Amino acid sequence: MDYDGGSGQAARYGRDLDLSMVASHELKEPLALIRQLALESRGNLTDVELTERLLTQIELTAERGLRLTTDLTRAESLEGFIAEPINPVQICEDVAHELTPLFKAHNLAIEVPLRRRKMTAVGNRTLLKQVLINLADNALHYASADTPVRLSSVSKESGKLIRISVRDYGPSVPANTLQRLESESPSLFLPTRPQSSGLGLYIARRFAEAMHGRLGLHRHHDGVTFYIELPVSTQLTLL
Amino acid sequence: MNDFLVLIIEDNFWLGEHYVRLIEQAGWKAVLCDNALDGIDRLDDLSVDVVVMDIFLAGPNGIALLHEMQSHADLNLIPVILVTNAADRLDLGNLSPYGVREVLDKVKMVPEDLVAAIQRVA
Repeated sequence: MDYDGGSGQAARYGRDLDLSMVASHELKEPLALIRQLALESRGNLTDVELTERLLTQIELTAERGLRLTTDLTRAESLEGFIAEPINPVQICEDVAHELTPLFKAHNLAIEVPLRRRKMTAVGNRTLLKQVLINLADNALHYASADTPVRLSSVSKESGKLIRISVRDYGPSVPANTLQRLESESPSLFLPTRPQSSGLGLYIARRFAEAMHGRLGLHRHHDGVTFYIELPVSTQLTLL
Repeated sequence: MNDFLVLIIEDNFWLGEHYVRLIEQAGWKAVLCDNALDGIDRLDDLSVDVVVMDIFLAGPNGIALLHEMQSHADLNLIPVILVTNAADRLDLGNLSPYGVREVLDKVKMVPEDLVAAIQRVA
């Protein structure tokens, strides 16, 4: 092993420290919410309707926290994932289906527009699904009740790439968000949209890179599109 | 205190709703908004008695809102309660010039703490 004078180790230690601080900050939020809702629920057990609603919110908040911790573990040991031909539209539909209860509980909607032409990307089904879940979760807090969060896919660069996007119609993000998204420092992901998961975006970028893909974003006057680009599969598949 | 109005600025909607229920159970009125810009609009439109807010907000953060409030002679008299999960890193002494009268820790507080804090600053 080459000796790097300790600078590589120091950088790694700095990143780990940074990551643990961000993770600790981000996990505090759902845990604090669960605790508050549980305390309120205990004081209102006779109100069945309210208790039922609080329990649903507790369940969905716990699921979100668990997703984050599972992804965090996975992001730190990304070896061994197999690249395979995948159908991004199918994965978008799976993600929309999985997140519909969470969106409904916020009186919001998530949708996947119909697409006739089938596209096949090279990636990993599990990682792409988690990337899209993180991006959709990020969009959840900024979506408007009038306009659903939309998952879609298009081909780019003369059919060499597939871009899978998550579009929301909330407040836009600061101009330097793309720089932050490309940063090695997890803490730089935090200040973009505080209620969203900066950690989720960091994890999404790590997963995208593990699939030789790229995470990016477009700022709109009425929201943001976060996307992942993956290479197109040239194999004929039965997907 | 039937017309006593608390403005809540909290971008976690379920937590904001939770505060609204606590405040209404105490017999007061509550208005919830999820960002600092809406918060300023509400402060202009309504006669607010107490502001309950998080410091980390989408868009301009809570500090920007506190600065804005301090620049208006009528708004800088409204007591502010910060409810945050960064309470251990905030010093009330540094925040009091910005109208902050109480800091509650989201991680440790119980529902009664919010109502008690409002009663103390009102």
